[in-house]
Amino acid sequence: MPAADPHWTRSLRFRLLAATLIAVAVALVLAGLLMAGLFRDHVMRQFSQGLTAQLDQVTARLEFDASGQPQIDPQALTDPRWSRPYSGLYWQVDGANNEQQRGVLRSRSLWDATLILPGDLLADGVVHVHEVNGPDGARLLLVERTITRDELRATPWRLIVAGDLRETVSAVARFNGVLAASLAALLVLLCAAALAQVAIGLAPLRALQRRLTLVRAGTAQRLDGSFPHEVQPLIDEFNAVLDRNAEVVARARTQAGNLAHAIKTPLAAMSQAAAVALQRPQASADLATLVEEQVGVARRHVDWHLARARAAAAQGLPGARVMLQPVVSGLLRVMERVHADRRLGLQCAPMAAELAFAGEVQDLQEILGNLLDNACKWARHEIHVGAAPIDSAGGARLRIVIDDDGPGIEPDRRDTVMARGARLDESVPGSGLGLAIVNELAGLYGGSVRLAAAPIGGLRVEVELPRG
Amino acid sequence: MRVLLVEDDPTLRAQLRAGLQEADYAVDEADNGRDGHHLGATASFDAVILDLGLPVLDGISVLKRWREAGLTLPVLILTARDSWHEKVAGIDAGADDYLAKPFHMEELLARLRALIRRAQGLASPLLQCGALALDTRSGRVTLNGQPVNLTSHEYRLLSYLMHRPGTVVSRTELTEHLYAQDFDRDSNTIEVFIGRLRRKLPPETIETVRGLGYRLAAPP
Repeated sequence: MPAADPHWTRSLRFRLLAATLIAVAVALVLAGLLMAGLFRDHVMRQFSQGLTAQLDQVTARLEFDASGQPQIDPQALTDPRWSRPYSGLYWQVDGANNEQQRGVLRSRSLWDATLILPGDLLADGVVHVHEVNGPDGARLLLVERTITRDELRATPWRLIVAGDLRETVSAVARFNGVLAASLAALLVLLCAAALAQVAIGLAPLRALQRRLTLVRAGTAQRLDGSFPHEVQPLIDEFNAVLDRNAEVVARARTQAGNLAHAIKTPLAAMSQAAAVALQRPQASADLATLVEEQVGVARRHVDWHLARARAAAAQGLPGARVMLQPVVSGLLRVMERVHADRRLGLQCAPMAAELAFAGEVQDLQEILGNLLDNACKWARHEIHVGAAPIDSAGGARLRIVIDDDGPGIEPDRRDTVMARGARLDESVPGSGLGLAIVNELAGLYGGSVRLAAAPIGGLRVEVELPRG
Repeated sequence: MRVLLVEDDPTLRAQLRAGLQEADYAVDEADNGRDGHHLGATASFDAVILDLGLPVLDGISVLKRWREAGLTLPVLILTARDSWHEKVAGIDAGADDYLAKPFHMEELLARLRALIRRAQGLASPLLQCGALALDTRSGRVTLNGQPVNLTSHEYRLLSYLMHRPGTVVSRTELTEHLYAQDFDRDSNTIEVFIGRLRRKLPPETIETVRGLGYRLAAPP
């Protein structure tokens, strides 16, 4: 996580709230503008339609005298606003082509004012709408129409009806005020809803946090309870890690206990012997022998447990795969060199190139290295190594066979040599752990080790391991 | 016999040195790969004990460089107990044998004797030269089955000669192989010990080849 990140952007709650707030605010402002615009449009159209109706009335009352001057009988117009000064509803008749003829006829409500409108000439009957400043400084909406008498060379006249916009404008303003207030209220409500949503939505995370605290405090072993579908896979993975950790710790504890226990015995023996030697100094020669022997015992225990620990650590690592042929060849080179003066014939039957062991390379080396080393120690002339894939009920497997022509092992003693630390012949150097470690390692991989008589005279060791 | 000991752990090195010297080996030592490589490449040794986990230059690299330079001296590598990977790598780099730590001194000495013997093409640990016999395992010398009492220096000298029966061995070679580098190399010492050895063995067993050195001949 970059250090430049401000603290607050790392909060999920903040991110959710900020995004919601911005979206809601933008949406509400846009809606407000749209609604205000629509309302104003609507009101103005209504108003201008009203004025047009008035204009139609005025047009209907328009008459011309003999000289062609327009006449309107004010009595014929019933709306009282026509006669009340500055009432907000006005009419006026202009000569269309002559500035002098502006306001030849005006409603009484105009009093001494004249409506001044942009000079445009319209085709007969077409209604134009303008906004102008009227008497009393008010904004007026104005509709006009041009009338021509049905005679040749008649002068066109412009009929104008204007209405005061003050009422309309204040209505729009009132509406806008109410609209803004309700939108603001909506914004507040939506924000509250968003807060609640985030609080409810993120509640499982807080619950998770509490459970984690419990796990860390040691009062819980795993994350219990059900979580939303989105979080559950994470919880399951985490629980798997916790379980594996617990398993590893438990195993480590057991192994440490086993090892401690195993080492205690030689320690006790040495301590006892030392006490005896203190009382009888002449026995110190025995002491040296005993210490030597007991240190050997302790060392075997340490080696044994180390091998076990390493093999156990390799368990549960999925996907480990190691080709068999290179490992066997490497170990055979070692044996040929190390046992060069015995001039042993080490024969390795050709094995399929893709034959592989499903596990760690060190474990395969440990298994085969110990077995080959044993075979070389005991063989007279010959050692035969072979491997083949087999398919058993336990899944794809691999069988490795190592034969020697040494003395072999009597059938009834074969179980004994598999036991830890057993050595049938003390005259050949070795820790007595080889076969036991091989057996243990193979067992950890779900494999097996079997001892039999070799066709060439000595011992046959068959190892079955999972195939990769 | 002169061996090179390359081991970085001071305690183990001191123990090995003491054990080797007690077994009548002349010991040169190095505590890192670079010095070890230099010593092995420039001085004459009958065998090398090489630890693999060395500072500056690791054991496998040291071994590879020696072999690439054509050095054929026998090399015994020291490896961790359960590391077959190291053993395979060591043997492939040109080691002649390995010994897994921890080990017994006797085991090391036995392997070392076998290596030195093998390097001279001798199969048996019992060296014979006519009626004269030398058991490399026990360090006992017999003449017609009768034990011959030798001092440590005399034994070293005879053992070196018996590993090369019928070959002329120069005085320089003897000095180089019988003493560690820091030993005061006065070639007269060799003559003194040859003289003493001759008195304990039948006449004509050690011939002087004038201007070249000495040769062991089968005593009658």
